[in-house]
Amino acid sequence: MSEVLTEDYYRKLEELQQLDFVLVELTLYLDTHPNDMQALQQFNKTAQQRQQAAYNFEMEYGPLLQYGHSYSRYPWQWSQTPWPWQV
Amino acid sequence: MEDNQVREWHPFIGPFDPCPPVRVKTYVVPPNQFITFQPMNLPQFSPAEALRLGTLWPSLYSNYTSKRRGEVVTDE
Repeated sequence: MSEVLTEDYYRKLEELQQLDFVLVELTLYLDTHPNDMQALQQFNKTAQQRQQAAYNFEMEYGPLLQYGHSYSRYPWQWSQTPWPWQV
Repeated sequence: MEDNQVREWHPFIGPFDPCPPVRVKTYVVPPNQFITFQPMNLPQFSPAEALRLGTLWPSLYSNYTSKRRGEVVTDE
């Protein structure tokens, strides 16, 4: 893990945050609008985008989640810096 | 700071009030008070704007600016 976090790191992280927020909004919306076809398609499209963005981020900067929800390179990356609150 | 969501009212100020009077008090009535059931296919923000503004739909946006920067209307 490079000690200095690059601009790209923060940009990718923010993009992930944006996708996550859209997914949260759409989830809450779809809870009350189950038969809104367009929103459902948008939800699935955004979910796919989010998986792709997370995959790219993890390939480059290490695991985002733990307990098997993310892969890790050798040596074990989870316990290395930076921790989420240090980013 | 006239904004269609911010409303104000003038509390009664008595001669024996212990503290300095607040002449005008404001409160926010966000748009979701007027929409009983959200219609389908409303226009949406881009993901970047949505994250920044806190909602995906412009029609539900309420800016709720902070009052700490001295924006409280105190004079009559």
